Amino acid sequence: MIDLDLIQKAIDWGTKKSPWIIHFNAGACNGCDIETVDSLTPRFDLERLGVIKQGSPRHADILVCTGAVTLQTRERLIQIYEQMAEPKFVIAIGTCACTGGIFDGCYCVTGGIDSVVPVDVYIPGCAARPEAIIRAVSKLLDTLDTPEQKEKKAGKAKKREKIEDAVKAQDMNISEEEKEARNGQEDSGDES
Amino acid sequence: MNREEEIVGILVKKFPFLQDRISVKKEKRIFTGALSRDEFEKIVRYVHDDMNLFRAHHVVGTDEGENIGLLYILSGDDNILLALREVVPKANPAVKSISDMYASIVLHERELADLFGAVFEGLPEGPSYPLPDGWPKGNYPLRKEWNPKYFNKETMTYEPPKEGEEKE
Amino acid sequence: MSEVDKNQVIVPIGPQHPSLDEPGCFTITLEGEKVVNAIIGVGYNHRGLEKACESRNYFQNLYIIERVCGICSHTHSTAFCRAVEELTGVTVPARAEYIRVVVAELERLHSHLLWLGTACHEIGYDTMFMYTWRNREKVLDILAAVGGNRVNYGVNTFGGVRRDLDEAIVSAILKTVDTLEDEINHYLEIATTETTLMSRLVGVGRLSHEDAIKFGAVGPVARAAGIMDDIRVIEPYGAYKEIPVKAITDTRADVYGRTVVRILEMLESLSIIRYCLKNLPAGVIAVKVPRRVPAGEVLIRVEAPRGECIHYVRSNGTEMPDRVRVRAPSEANWHGMKHMLEGGYLADVPITIAAIDPCYSCTDRAVAVHSEMDSKVMDWRELREYGNEWYKKHGVDVSALVL
Repeated sequence: MIDLDLIQKAIDWGTKKSPWIIHFNAGACNGCDIETVDSLTPRFDLERLGVIKQGSPRHADILVCTGAVTLQTRERLIQIYEQMAEPKFVIAIGTCACTGGIFDGCYCVTGGIDSVVPVDVYIPGCAARPEAIIRAVSKLLDTLDTPEQKEKKAGKAKKREKIEDAVKAQDMNISEEEKEARNGQEDSGDES
Repeated sequence: MNREEEIVGILVKKFPFLQDRISVKKEKRIFTGALSRDEFEKIVRYVHDDMNLFRAHHVVGTDEGENIGLLYILSGDDNILLALREVVPKANPAVKSISDMYASIVLHERELADLFGAVFEGLPEGPSYPLPDGWPKGNYPLRKEWNPKYFNKETMTYEPPKEGEEKE
Repeated sequence: MSEVDKNQVIVPIGPQHPSLDEPGCFTITLEGEKVVNAIIGVGYNHRGLEKACESRNYFQNLYIIERVCGICSHTHSTAFCRAVEELTGVTVPARAEYIRVVVAELERLHSHLLWLGTACHEIGYDTMFMYTWRNREKVLDILAAVGGNRVNYGVNTFGGVRRDLDEAIVSAILKTVDTLEDEINHYLEIATTETTLMSRLVGVGRLSHEDAIKFGAVGPVARAAGIMDDIRVIEPYGAYKEIPVKAITDTRADVYGRTVVRILEMLESLSIIRYCLKNLPAGVIAVKVPRRVPAGEVLIRVEAPRGECIHYVRSNGTEMPDRVRVRAPSEANWHGMKHMLEGGYLADVPITIAAIDPCYSCTDRAVAVHSEMDSKVMDWRELREYGNEWYKKHGVDVSALVL
């Protein structure tokens, strides 16, 4: 008997831990596109977070879109969106993708990405920085958490805060010599 | 006399009708005034065949009220830009393509056909550029009288307000 | 129409470039593996911005023009500023001209590094792609420090520049230039000595000197065929009138020639930046320009990383321009594409198209292979992999190269 619950959990885990993206330029000036590709290169390196750029919409979880949608690309954008399998998400990168930007009102521009397909995450910016793109992807994935997972994460964050506060308080109470001694110990301590 | 003035001299000598319609704008820029279709064809053939202006950089379309302007930008070895301005009426915007002499002008002439409605005789067949497929015929966006406000992008139709109706 | 062969390959391509964006279509006819005919059907990133410029004032248009292309945004804004400055008769202060050149050369650096990485990616040499884009980050850091943004830095304004270079930035730029020089020299060495790499690039995408002239090729594509068309050399503008710029050409007229030209141009950019920073004149960085621009028309040419960029601006004496026309360099380079593809192998299609440096990021590239038996659609990634596999079978494996 197939445990559908388990399969669903595996799919969720795959989507969250390793989302595959497809990048589509709907009429952009390329500024946001090169920042998107930048986030896959060594300095930002999305791949270490499990994100890979795919060529085919059928293999992708997230559609990353740039540019104000032009009349020429409108149909193709809809096609790509429809070809993607559920669960699927759309991220609009850059001000033009959010609202049409400075090209809003031009005769060949329909508007932002959401004038054609539903958008889950909007990243403003001209161009949007790779850090913003990574944050958007991780925020999107956070929304996929179940309520229990959300609670767990919130609990962990609280615990971490508590520890940091305690350490700060401790630091204020110990003497300078103690501090130095501790630092010395850390430096020469064994590397485990 | 510098090279720009030399070129102007040669052209005026060959085509006396250019007398008051050609001038050196600044270094490396020579502009003509409005030329009719026939005048333009004669000059462009001459500058190509006899003056070896082998490079066509571009053709800029302009709206001249009742007419369309086509500003062809040519140059040769001395890198001086000669801008020849062909002007034809909007009501009959038929011109001869210069793609037989300049292969690098094809895409730019096609663009003028789409955006201004110029009709180029002799332009090789090809996909329309740059407007999308399904663009309504007879709509030339860069003509001044075409207003993007009245273009319905959903139905791809141009709906100008009727006579007497309030215009925004 | 001539007889259609058994194998007909249709390549719908959406090249992105300063103004080309529409998914276009190449119709390619193959005989065996060789391309015998190619029909170009490219599109245009047609947003309708030229029409938009006519109903906005010049300052608003500066922002639009800067965003014609995200990779050479400074080039476009420089050209547009120069157009307005010429129409208003304003002289830009010397310090501003030098700063404009520094930013322009930094842009050329980042654009060529981007191209180098992309071209290597097309032939399967991903290590180089990662290395060049990592180097690019250093240039983007500097551009962000100078202009405030990594892309679309907005340094230009009418009458000069918006931001000055202080000593801290100048020394940071010089430090980066030194680091980059070592790395780019290393790339030059690889490009000129690695036979594996050369076998993927030499003889591919040939556009002879005569054809380059005939089809109006510009930029590194023309310079690789021996044509000196660098605007900084033939019609110097701004501070280029005082700065020595080496004229770089090659005679090979193929993708390899274009690679070498771009790498040498990067080295030349580094020396131009050094010269500018060493000789930076003192003074103000901008002068006032009237809101109403006197009537007139101008034709401006500047050297974008991809080649000659032409701006035409016509003013009718008001705050809004009468006509703005931007002719980006890649538009000129498409005409020779048919020639470059014909006679080559299907495996060379990706690198040939990439070598004219259409702005990165293709919207939609797919190849449809129709044969008597079968009909298949390949996307660009598959076409690239097909090319890499084909070359591997013929003993050329670039992916194994050590940097």
